[in-house]
Amino acid sequence: MRVISKEDFDSFVSSIINDDSLNVIGVKSKGDKFAFGTLESASDLRLDYDVTLLPPKKYFFPQRETLVTYDVATGFAAKDPADLKSTVMLGVHPYDIVALLQMDEIFRETKSDPYYFEKRKSSIIIGVNIQNMSERCFAPQMGCATIENGYDLMLTDLGNRYAINIGSQKGEELLEKYAKNVKDALARDVQLAGQKKQEIMNMSQQEFDFPTELIPEMLSKTYGQNGFWEEHSEKCLSCGSCVLVCPTCYCFDVKDDPDLSLKEGERIRTWDGCMLEDFAKIASGENFRPTRPTRYRHRYFKKGKYLFDRFGFVSCVGCGRCSSNCLPDIANPVDLFNDMYSEVLDMGVEIDAPAAPEVTIKTEGDINYVPKLATIVKKTPMTDKETLFEIKLDDGSILNQMPGQFVQVSVFGVGEAPISVSSSPTQKGTFQLCVRKIGNVTTRLHMLNEDSKIGIRGPFGHGFDPEALKGKDLLFVAAGLGIAPLRSLLNYVLDNRAEYGRVIVLYGCKEPREQLFGDEMVALEKRDDVEFKNTVDWCPENEVWEGNIGVITTLIPQINFDPENTYAIVVGPPIVYKFVIADLKKRNMPDDHIIVSLERRMKCGVGKCGHCQINHIYVCKDGPVFNYSDIKGVPEAL
Amino acid sequence: MKPKVAFFDFAGCEGDQLQVANLEEEILALLGHVEVVNFREVMKEQSDNYDIAFVEGSCTRLQDEDRLKQIRKNAKIVVAIGACATIGGINSLKNYQDLDDVRRTVYGDKAQLFDTYAARPIDAVIPVDAYVHGCPIDRDEFLHVVKSLLLGKKPEIPNYPVCVECKKNENVCAFERGEFCIGPVTRAGCNSCCVNEGTKCWGCRGLVDDPNENSQKEVLIKYGLTVDDAIKKFRLYFGWQERKK
Repeated sequence: MRVISKEDFDSFVSSIINDDSLNVIGVKSKGDKFAFGTLESASDLRLDYDVTLLPPKKYFFPQRETLVTYDVATGFAAKDPADLKSTVMLGVHPYDIVALLQMDEIFRETKSDPYYFEKRKSSIIIGVNIQNMSERCFAPQMGCATIENGYDLMLTDLGNRYAINIGSQKGEELLEKYAKNVKDALARDVQLAGQKKQEIMNMSQQEFDFPTELIPEMLSKTYGQNGFWEEHSEKCLSCGSCVLVCPTCYCFDVKDDPDLSLKEGERIRTWDGCMLEDFAKIASGENFRPTRPTRYRHRYFKKGKYLFDRFGFVSCVGCGRCSSNCLPDIANPVDLFNDMYSEVLDMGVEIDAPAAPEVTIKTEGDINYVPKLATIVKKTPMTDKETLFEIKLDDGSILNQMPGQFVQVSVFGVGEAPISVSSSPTQKGTFQLCVRKIGNVTTRLHMLNEDSKIGIRGPFGHGFDPEALKGKDLLFVAAGLGIAPLRSLLNYVLDNRAEYGRVIVLYGCKEPREQLFGDEMVALEKRDDVEFKNTVDWCPENEVWEGNIGVITTLIPQINFDPENTYAIVVGPPIVYKFVIADLKKRNMPDDHIIVSLERRMKCGVGKCGHCQINHIYVCKDGPVFNYSDIKGVPEAL
Repeated sequence: MKPKVAFFDFAGCEGDQLQVANLEEEILALLGHVEVVNFREVMKEQSDNYDIAFVEGSCTRLQDEDRLKQIRKNAKIVVAIGACATIGGINSLKNYQDLDDVRRTVYGDKAQLFDTYAARPIDAVIPVDAYVHGCPIDRDEFLHVVKSLLLGKKPEIPNYPVCVECKKNENVCAFERGEFCIGPVTRAGCNSCCVNEGTKCWGCRGLVDDPNENSQKEVLIKYGLTVDDAIKKFRLYFGWQERKK
């Protein structure tokens, strides 16, 4: 530990401000509140602040950030590397440092986010121990009021001087270069600093009625207590204030912003939040978390349970910002969890603190937000709404997808949309996407002609496993557009027909003119080695249909299968899963023999942006293909 | 061929068209993509041959409906611009009063000569394809809507409240400054411009799709507004939307 007089500390701050190679950020007053901002004078620095309006995450994960630039003539490019001066952040409270350490884990899991880490790596964090605690802060109870790591330097106010803990070599060098009269701490300084830290532990005005280690387990017990969630979220304005000010919230949206030439522009990401009404809404208009109670519950589960299971920490540092920014005052985690504790006691269930899960965070390279340029080589209209696009990557590479995986399709200036690949990987050179005209990207895609350029990212997600299905009888059940992802596996199986047992295909759509891949269906019907049945929900008077009329489940009694040796691959809209799975189970099909593919809003494709999350699962990463036995207990899945 | 663009106005102050005229350099860039055939504020030529019609102002008389319907017939795309056209605007304040009184107040003894009915947004009369909300409209959002239409996409108009933009802009909440703000139920897209300038949100962009009005009224009352004043806060811009329910 070192000490520096306040006078010398001011000179230190002035000298780093005067060094143009450094970008110096510090806490300043803003009205009656405080905010991190560019520091122009040492006298603007307010180390006595209680809490800042926004946490320092805004410097590493800004409100609006360019991911990719594009030019219709040349394609997509990574954003120019930011002109990154070293950023010195002065006056970060320990809880906000803990939050940054959590964000580091989240942004590096599976794929590392290059834009976050380029800024994070060039920063120097000078923390300060809390001198004044905001009324709603409960950092001490979350174990985040004081810290031993995560900073380069840490200051403690000792009256006329600061104690300085050195956290890194970077910190020490900064001090050596810019500070004068830094002395080794005397025993009384060390003692006083320890005393100050001790005082912080008693500063909070908030009080938990139970040990906070119980939070993940309490949440598990109350998921289905609908009355509890309805009551607590009744006044929710869906304004997103709680998530936007949160130092550990990281959900984002991705949008295209064309310039006035309409030929060039940028793809940006902006802060988003799971409390906002349209967060889980997809292009078809379906909203997978449409009500206030379900959104409110999701937020607490994400913080207290899902991230705990995934990373081993409760993703709340007790800063109290959500609580103090909520106008109807329903976002104080302390109040919510205290009420939850009473609820659990009323329910009469036992709860134990769970042991923190063993987690190893793996990183496999960087996220690539830059799409590859690709060409529409063939466009085959199939119905009024659906078209089959055959795509070739311009760099000559092959997509190398597993059946059931998806790609993110970019249309210049419009944006990106997730589309399942419809062709089998056995088709070489090109791949096919069967696309319904429904949202902005897909509507615009339909207006493009052959030879037009688009962008492709991927393949993404977890697909079907054709190896594991070898030797088995396969029952394919497709409803409507569900045939699109399912066809990737079906064609793979047909191309390797000898390696599989019986192949049964059931395909249904609303009416005859909505049938997809009509010629292929006729060909399937003619094959001896495929049992094929199709149906329409109804047949209007002006259309012709000689086959089965009725919903897809009316085909199931028409077939025989050996449930022990048969795997069912079911793809369709949400309603179909419910009924088809029930009927298959009635025929003794084991749960782990049922494979489904789910549709959700997917923006990043790599488990970061949060939109596709169903309970603890990310559809874009853990799916879209799931074994039914893995998701049957996941309430938001089916 | 460049799409032909026309501007029309109904009951309103023409402040939104003024915002368009004030785009200056950007308007020149836009003229590379479109041909303006009707724009009373900046040109004297007129034409009935247009693809995109921008309509400002609310409909406040039965006889205005015919003109609106004609515009709908002529145009491929109709865009409502400004609060009067998109949500009925402050004109809808009169909907809470006796319409005969309103006429007499405005026109005195000539009241009988002037017809009126409840002020309404133009989508109460004709289908509307896109909206540029605000009183007045935000120029950047106008550009976003025009660029989107030219690229063949649906403009991305937020369905979240102004609080989202206030938080991103790190504003001190208007309530904390003793103001009564209705940003928590008002559709964002203005980049919280009024609060950025140190005042509050009046609600000129209309309600979000699913506003929690009861909660918002409770908040206003909790911070010291009377019930009557809280209701008046909602009437300033939300008059038509509130009465439609």
